[in-house]
Amino acid sequence: MTGQLRLLASVAARHLVGRRRQTIVAVSGVAVGVGFFLAVSAMMIGSQNDFIKTLIDAAPHIIISDELRSPPPQPGVSLYKGAAVDLRHYKVRNEVRGLKGWPEILRTINALPGAIGSPSLSGAITLRSGGREEALTIVGVDPAIEEKVSTIQDQLRVGRLRDLESTQGGIIIGEEMARRLGLGVGDVVGATSASGKSRSLRIVGLFKRGQTQFSSGLGYVLLREAQSLLGRPFIINRIGVRLADPYEAQPISRRLEARYAYKAESWQERSADFLSLLVTRNVIMYSVVSAILLVASFGIYTVVSNSVSDKRRDIAIMRSMGFSERDLQLIFVFEGLALALIGIVAGWLLGYGLMAILGSLKFPIAGEDQRLPLDRSARQYAIAAAASLLSGVIAAWLPARKAARVDPVDILRGAV
Amino acid sequence: MSAIIEVEGVSRSLPGTPPVALVVDVSLSIQPATFVAIVGPSGCGKSSLLYLLGLLDRPTEGNVLFNGQDMNPLRGDARAQIRLASFGFVFQFHFLLPEFTALENVMLPMRRLGKLPLGEIRAKAQALLEGMGLGEKSAKTPDRLSGGERQRVAIARAVANDPALVLGDEPTGNLDSQNSARVVEMFRNLAHEQGRAVVCVTHDPDVAAAADVQISMLDGRIKETSVRPR
Repeated sequence: MTGQLRLLASVAARHLVGRRRQTIVAVSGVAVGVGFFLAVSAMMIGSQNDFIKTLIDAAPHIIISDELRSPPPQPGVSLYKGAAVDLRHYKVRNEVRGLKGWPEILRTINALPGAIGSPSLSGAITLRSGGREEALTIVGVDPAIEEKVSTIQDQLRVGRLRDLESTQGGIIIGEEMARRLGLGVGDVVGATSASGKSRSLRIVGLFKRGQTQFSSGLGYVLLREAQSLLGRPFIINRIGVRLADPYEAQPISRRLEARYAYKAESWQERSADFLSLLVTRNVIMYSVVSAILLVASFGIYTVVSNSVSDKRRDIAIMRSMGFSERDLQLIFVFEGLALALIGIVAGWLLGYGLMAILGSLKFPIAGEDQRLPLDRSARQYAIAAAASLLSGVIAAWLPARKAARVDPVDILRGAV
Repeated sequence: MSAIIEVEGVSRSLPGTPPVALVVDVSLSIQPATFVAIVGPSGCGKSSLLYLLGLLDRPTEGNVLFNGQDMNPLRGDARAQIRLASFGFVFQFHFLLPEFTALENVMLPMRRLGKLPLGEIRAKAQALLEGMGLGEKSAKTPDRLSGGERQRVAIARAVANDPALVLGDEPTGNLDSQNSARVVEMFRNLAHEQGRAVVCVTHDPDVAAAADVQISMLDGRIKETSVRPR
């Protein structure tokens, strides 16, 4: 800071010290605004991040399935490009479902830095035990690869995904399904596929209750077991992809789909509805919290405005001394800036304390004590500071302009 | 000797119907090392002329020249810079900044000018206060000084940047006779010993009598100018 700016800042500081009570009120306003901004945004962004993390972790970042978004063009359309060809009632050739050339697709995926692809085959079977029957979708996986791609291991209450490798005919089902069938870990259950193949499977693990999808309708077996049971040897119908950076999922999925034509769905595409809801939620949250900061800036406006009114005589004498209009404007902008800065630091401390309190609270959810997910990142502190500084400077700038426009002659003539 | 400041056919009126004339067609020049007193009844335009001379106000007609340069085309910041470096003001009411000590008040114009390091500014301000007999009161804020002391601090502040022109607007108007005499003596010293031009608007006959040049005004015009031999 140059000597002249330091001089103007010292005049501003003296003004604020001279109006201690008003200064404390204005600083408190900013501090409360910043503190609550931090607490509320920590909860909102924290829960959002937690939600997105769940979305990202719940399934692979990209799922390539044996579906096509649009049917392949008919030979007649391909042959006469741009011509008025209209084909109706043509018979589509029945193709065997499954990802053709999947080893090549897998090689491409695994060649991406930090990416890993897990091939799987899913299909419907019926589980039978003691006269009870339950429909189940089985997913055949390679456990060593699948546990790197999905968080399935975390969903298990009993057993490990790797147990599928060590137990002949092993299957992992949900606690809910096991309860309906009256079975537990180690019990044998009969399985029949739509193709009519049957075999006995041994339960080696159970998914946690409360995970609806896993708990009731989904089962995991070895990939070759699924291929055998479903009568589709060497076939897979899905590749789950995990990326080093989940936020790269969209462009990579587009590239894969463009290259292999199979539907490649990123986690963002699968969760588009939820993500758009989060945007709306953020707009509402930032609007409400910004209003708090705006109200805090009214306090700064009041203090600086009063200061300008009270210091009209000092402004006149400083102008006569040779201080320029800009100098006077800067003095009062510095006052607003100082109020905002002190308020921000106090608000940071308040916000930190509020977050510590919120973070210590425990809530019983699904039988487990859980804490509020909080975003304590420096980004929120920076946003709160930037918003407060901006509103503080604008709030101070308005009366400061008035100070700069004070005509010293009017004041000196009136000697007020 | 060339004039420090000159006005040529200067008028100043306030807008209205009809306009209110404050200064009407005034021409004068102020020489260095001269103590000039402007006298006249209240409302005759003395202070308005002083504000025009001090570049605080702009004439509606005529020119104000400082060291031969026309000041009318200059923008506010340039005029402020000239006031800072070359002019010093003393008002009837001391107009010291209440949050600052006597020493800090005297330091203000020097700090704003920024030509000296802070240590030298402090030493010069202290020397100025000692010259005014206020060396021991430099750490006091204005509310802890008497009226005469405050006015002496204001004079010290006015001369802090070694101005060529010192302008006083009723500088003794709020002082007792003893302090008045002291201030008049200081103004005479500023003119005669330090070579500055001093212009004082006053009702005080003692101040007027002490001046080298006495300008009488009436209804915004110069009625009479008398020069007193030194």
